[in-house]
Amino acid sequence: MSTHLFSARDMTCALPTQEGEKTIFRGLSFDIDAGEIVDLVGPSGSGKSSLLTAFARLNPHAGGTMFLDGRPSTEFTPQQWRCSVAYLPQKPVLIGDNVAEVIRLPWTLAIRNEQDDISPDTNHPVDPQAHARTRGKRRRSGIWGAVHNGVDMLPDDKIRATLDAIGCEDINLGRAPHDLSGGQAARVSLARTLLTNPKLLLADEVDAGLDDDNAAKVAAILSDAAQRGMAVIRIRHRPPDGVATRTVTLDEGGLR
Amino acid sequence: MAQTATQTTSGTSYPIDIWGLLIALAMVMVASGLSWLMHLGIGKTLLWSACRALVQLCAMGFIMGYVIKSGNPWLVLILITGMLVAAVQITLSRAKGVPKGLAGPVLLSLVITMLLMISMVTELVIRPHPWYAPQLVVPLTGMLLGNTVSALAVGLSRFYESMKERRNEVDTLLALGATRWEAARPSIISSIRLGLLPTTASLASSGIVTIPGMMAGQVIAGGDPLNAAKYQFVILASIAALTLLADTLIMVMVYRTCFTADDQYRDKPVVEHRKRNR
Repeated sequence: MSTHLFSARDMTCALPTQEGEKTIFRGLSFDIDAGEIVDLVGPSGSGKSSLLTAFARLNPHAGGTMFLDGRPSTEFTPQQWRCSVAYLPQKPVLIGDNVAEVIRLPWTLAIRNEQDDISPDTNHPVDPQAHARTRGKRRRSGIWGAVHNGVDMLPDDKIRATLDAIGCEDINLGRAPHDLSGGQAARVSLARTLLTNPKLLLADEVDAGLDDDNAAKVAAILSDAAQRGMAVIRIRHRPPDGVATRTVTLDEGGLR
Repeated sequence: MAQTATQTTSGTSYPIDIWGLLIALAMVMVASGLSWLMHLGIGKTLLWSACRALVQLCAMGFIMGYVIKSGNPWLVLILITGMLVAAVQITLSRAKGVPKGLAGPVLLSLVITMLLMISMVTELVIRPHPWYAPQLVVPLTGMLLGNTVSALAVGLSRFYESMKERRNEVDTLLALGATRWEAARPSIISSIRLGLLPTTASLASSGIVTIPGMMAGQVIAGGDPLNAAKYQFVILASIAALTLLADTLIMVMVYRTCFTADDQYRDKPVVEHRKRNR
């Protein structure tokens, strides 16, 4: 099909209303390559968020044909697709008792543990230290399936190093999420998705409501990720910050 | 209602006459009068519910008396079917904010738990002759349904309410690659817990604070208190187990109504009448 990292064709979104359906956009096409940062702008209500959720296959009112590395989206399960095409919602929802748990959440999900369900190596003598480290790392609970806490896949020091690397030295892993400031919460939410290493990041106004300092930090984190090969689409309302490789406008149901 | 006296093996029973019923009703009237004075706004409902309960209970008493006397298994079956249909209707009318079309799943989980109740408790523990002994099967079914109906109604209401409250959380989980089961699990757990709360509370308090209805009934009717206690334990334990089962079954059957086939969150849950995709 194409050599683009991600391609979307004929994207259509129609919201059900009382008088039938209201078309938000119809027949949109979009391509993005690895390492690109594309700013998506347009008047509010033009369907920017709907377009991003459609890309992540999260929007029940949208449809279209999408390709990732030339493979059609229908070849992926919704979970596989969303691991590669990650939607980052505008409002940070931090689930867990502390920052470390919040960031580990994606690693507790079945999609990142499927190949990991092999029984532990019994040929090696039990190392008490290793045992202590892995104690309670996963338990089975009947029909609820395997429950993982993700500590083995994402230890505290790795989270710490990653947070430091993206300028979040100020965030303590033991802090409760509701104690974080708005800027910190936005960066934790961003770090959580970044650590899952998606191929395409769909960032929905992640710098909205942040002060200039925090917005600049978020922009730096994203341009860093793009340099490592991640493609990023940002919805922004702020004036251009020079990070984007190009800007597209969504208006009256079309992309310009 | 004095027939119970003839069933007892020892002791005496004290039948209630029409004055007894009137005195009970008078107590309710006094209570609703008080609520009217205090502007609680619950008096009318209380009175109406009491009258309704009196009529329903007496009717059930007459019907059960007839079925027990006839000893016909088909009549037992018809009576239980009627109770099941009413239970489904009551569950759905009590559950708030649930989508249409849940009668099937509710009926299924009630039937499965009821069949388990009859096969385990009646046929394995009590082993009556004949096996369908109406004076056992009908009251046991009634007690089980009473518990599962409220557990299901509470569980269903809580589940859909929680899915609505957790909308952003569900969307975030799905965006991070969660399956619909993983995204719905916190709501499922909290609704099952809430549905089971009265059951676990009654298990813990029985014997110390409360003499549960069935035990009290047997003792009042002149039965042996220890025997009554054993009966009561069997009933409480099986009701607790089966209520949990009923709630789990209904959640497994309905949680997908909040999602599309592509594992997307749906604003308005829909019951789809087609074959599952996977």
